[in-house]
Amino acid sequence: MTGAELVVKLLTEHGVHSVFGYPGGAIMPIYDALYQSPVKHYLCRHEQGGGFSAIGYARASGQTGVCLATSGPGATNLITALADALLDSIPVVAITGQVSQAVAGTDAFQEVDVLGMSLTCTKHSFYVSDVADLADTLREAFSLAQSGRPGPVLVDIPKDVQLAQVDYQPLHLTATSPATELSQFAEQIAAARALLQQAQKPMAYIGGGVHMADALPELNAFLTATGMPSVTTLKAMGSVEKSNPLYLGMLGMHGTQAANLAVQQTDLLLCLGARFDDRVTGNLKKFASEAKVIHIDIDPAEINKLRFADVAMLGDLKALLPAMTAAGNYADWQAHCGALKQQHGWRYDHPGERIYAPLLLKQLSERMPDNSVVSCDVGQHQMWVAQHMRFNSPRNHLSSGGLGTMGFGLPAAIGAKISRPQDTSVLVTGDGSFMMNVQELATIKRFRLPVKIIVIDNQRLGMVKQWQQLFFAGRYSETDLSDNPDFVSLAAAFAIPGHSISHKDEVESALDAMFSWPGPYLLHVRIDETDNVWPLVPPGAANQDMMTDLPQWEE
Amino acid sequence: MSNAAQSQQHTLTIHTRHEAVAIERLLQVTRYRGFTLAGLELKPLADLSGLLITLSVVSDKPVSLLVNQLNKLYDVLDLELHQAEAGALRA
Repeated sequence: MTGAELVVKLLTEHGVHSVFGYPGGAIMPIYDALYQSPVKHYLCRHEQGGGFSAIGYARASGQTGVCLATSGPGATNLITALADALLDSIPVVAITGQVSQAVAGTDAFQEVDVLGMSLTCTKHSFYVSDVADLADTLREAFSLAQSGRPGPVLVDIPKDVQLAQVDYQPLHLTATSPATELSQFAEQIAAARALLQQAQKPMAYIGGGVHMADALPELNAFLTATGMPSVTTLKAMGSVEKSNPLYLGMLGMHGTQAANLAVQQTDLLLCLGARFDDRVTGNLKKFASEAKVIHIDIDPAEINKLRFADVAMLGDLKALLPAMTAAGNYADWQAHCGALKQQHGWRYDHPGERIYAPLLLKQLSERMPDNSVVSCDVGQHQMWVAQHMRFNSPRNHLSSGGLGTMGFGLPAAIGAKISRPQDTSVLVTGDGSFMMNVQELATIKRFRLPVKIIVIDNQRLGMVKQWQQLFFAGRYSETDLSDNPDFVSLAAAFAIPGHSISHKDEVESALDAMFSWPGPYLLHVRIDETDNVWPLVPPGAANQDMMTDLPQWEE
Repeated sequence: MSNAAQSQQHTLTIHTRHEAVAIERLLQVTRYRGFTLAGLELKPLADLSGLLITLSVVSDKPVSLLVNQLNKLYDVLDLELHQAEAGALRA
């Protein structure tokens, strides 16, 4: 077979049924091999859309996402998606065609140093110069993408390698990750348990690493047994069971007041698969400054990177959490956290007839089918989704956390729908973000994907505008989007029906109409451009010093 | 994590795969993580099974931040931190 046919063979060997991409000159042999192959190719309308669809596929399913692009501009268009996958630790294998080696390094047509470009935005990248190495390289790429802390891996394959003849040798050995041996952690586990016993006000700070370790059952058993209050990062939303009364929500810049206040008061922070990033900590020196820290992660580079850990464990949370479980006696602290939660609950009786996005999202959360996957973009709507919607799994909340990439949402929702066709895929986007990968409406049309799209439109680049209002003296530089297209007409051009609403009393019936429609649907929601996201921890401030515009009181 | 007042020089001996891109990755990580290059020696192993690289860096950051990142690189087969010279090079 040819190298290109071997690529397809290796995809099936790894259980890959769906790939996303866009063809071009240097990857034509692989596209020829895909033709009438068992691997389903989803033609996106931009390589970035293909990359984000692969991410959405991976995040919603837990499997590795695969995307394809040609050399030169095809590969450069993938770079943003690779960076997004790296920052959020998403397993993606990107396969790029490259010019033939006979012309490599001559500035040939559509030649660019993809390997060099990918160094900073992948977990690893390979250039395959010999077809004899192709199978091992692809197998290694899948293994690397999934192992340890997951991430994107790129394989750049010159056209002559795709065309060269090679034999397929089945994989006989299955590599397995070594199990975490608890005995090697005996000292740390004992130290951690001692800290847990001494603590009066412990707090679990839960990151995306927990669900990526497939440790949600162990996490929830741990929280229940210990009675420890908890907070999550953006990426970990949905990790804690909805019924847990001591879950305080998301912490950080736009976290809940209860979460931020409680974390600032804790005397023991149990950091599980999280990394103390700046959107979480605010002023790092003032973050939970009285707390001792237990940090458990799979990535050694995260331990002591930003915050010293009194006890650190590098291992599998699925094994380590049960070993640390011991009933605690934190009654006063539990009561205090419960009171904070009550005192700072969200308020939804926004005055006026205009649609209030937080209320709409709460209504959406309550009305959408069980196990829906909600993808969002980046900006105000993204934070409102995190604040006002509840999820029963992190796989049901796809949000570009680390890179914060506008344009992520629509292709991610496509990937999610393809990976979980039985579940409803909902996109919540903003008028700015939506336009960044709007061409993917054509992908929805082509494959008749019933994605439900909600465009929250304030005719502004809302989050930037909010910061201009707060920190740049109201100088609204380039954030006016009042010349947006008619989004319902735009959707109609792709055979997607839609409806536009602007009053509160239209919301429930509009949501019902959207969900009852069997195909894709776009709901355009006009909101007031003066609505902002609260609370907000200003730059350089400690997390207890939140700006709050709205009064918040008991629900 | 730490705001050490003084920069320190550190020397690392690194065994990598025999790939030119390995040295690019080492230098990229060194720069991006905030370490200044103070010296670099490279020679292929006699059997061409890899590269032996001596990397000297200067930074006021704990060298463990760099070591942990370099150890994650696929091309790095072995890494040894030789010394942490105590002398201040720059405030």
